[in-house]
Amino acid sequence: MGRIIAVHSYKGGTGKTLMAINLATALVQRGKKVCLLDLDFRAPSLYAVLKADGSEYWLNDYLNGVCEIKRVLVDSTEKSGLNGGRLLLGLANPNTEAIRDMTAKDRKWEMRALGRLLALKNSLLNDMELDYIIFDTSPGLQYSSINAIVSADVVLVVTTQDTSDVLGTRRMIQELYDLFDKKAALLLNKALLSSSSFEKEMKEIAVQYEKTYNLPVLEVIPCFCDVLKAGGTFIFSKEKPDHPFTKLLEEIATKIEKS
Amino acid sequence: MSRTLEKTEARLLEKIKESLDKLNEKMEVFIELQKSEQKGGLVAGMPDLPETLDVMTLLSLPDHLRKTAIAICKLGEATADETAEHTKRARAVESGYLNQLVLMGYLKKERRGRKAYFYVEK
Repeated sequence: MGRIIAVHSYKGGTGKTLMAINLATALVQRGKKVCLLDLDFRAPSLYAVLKADGSEYWLNDYLNGVCEIKRVLVDSTEKSGLNGGRLLLGLANPNTEAIRDMTAKDRKWEMRALGRLLALKNSLLNDMELDYIIFDTSPGLQYSSINAIVSADVVLVVTTQDTSDVLGTRRMIQELYDLFDKKAALLLNKALLSSSSFEKEMKEIAVQYEKTYNLPVLEVIPCFCDVLKAGGTFIFSKEKPDHPFTKLLEEIATKIEKS
Repeated sequence: MSRTLEKTEARLLEKIKESLDKLNEKMEVFIELQKSEQKGGLVAGMPDLPETLDVMTLLSLPDHLRKTAIAICKLGEATADETAEHTKRARAVESGYLNQLVLMGYLKKERRGRKAYFYVEK
């Protein structure tokens, strides 16, 4: 049976979407069937990178109970230039009115939305036999991100060395993941390395952060100017297969497959 | 002759077990009711005022009840046996927690034949 991975973080701009897209890509290129869902309804972003079109429905519609999940998903394998497996996309509606609508939902609606997210395990992992569902969530503690976390099997927490991010992430782990008994692991992104012996320093940082959070650090990803320069206009790991960022993402995919 | 007797006995035992099960469940509700009364008025106006079991509510529940409530969210609807299988806790324990969640207004309980099913009212 496949697994649901939620990519989450305390603050915005940590690199959740970048990680979610490139992790999905790495898994697809290993022959896996992956469904990538944009659950950041306040600031949808997958549509901008993957430029998927052709679907008549958004994820918003699925959560509103308007349609089945199959009507939302678009097969983006070919368009994204990927080989091996399959990449299915479910996008959040980026129109301002849709964003406003999603922020004004009541508790009853959020309860039903949780039910619909939980049902994906059956419809996508069981019936469609997908290997992974990856949730690109909204940051922090709000309904849509907590619903995603409760529905996921594993949470990948993207964090940076920023102090407010560190403090907030630590609280979030204790007051959210622990309460829901969630299996979680950290991705330390945009790490600033000073020495020339990168690998040694990355290991030291990993040990330090594992102590801080009491969670395994899956990978330390240095701050790469090339990644920032790309500005999310293309799938980085696909365009730059030999870049160290891509290599690290491949290692993350290997660890996830083994876990 | 003796076989018919055995059958009658078996049926009788089955009926006794059924009644005991029902009695047991009523007792559990009774115990929970008493507990909530002691805590000061969980009961007042409760069952006819359904509460919303959203994630923020889940977060506010005590650990032992949260586990049971999440199990029902995941299973859709379930008996105490099925819930216990999911949470890996004893059936009697789960039955108590489920009935408590019903009393608190978060879950609904429906009897179908010999089994009681618990679910979240959507």
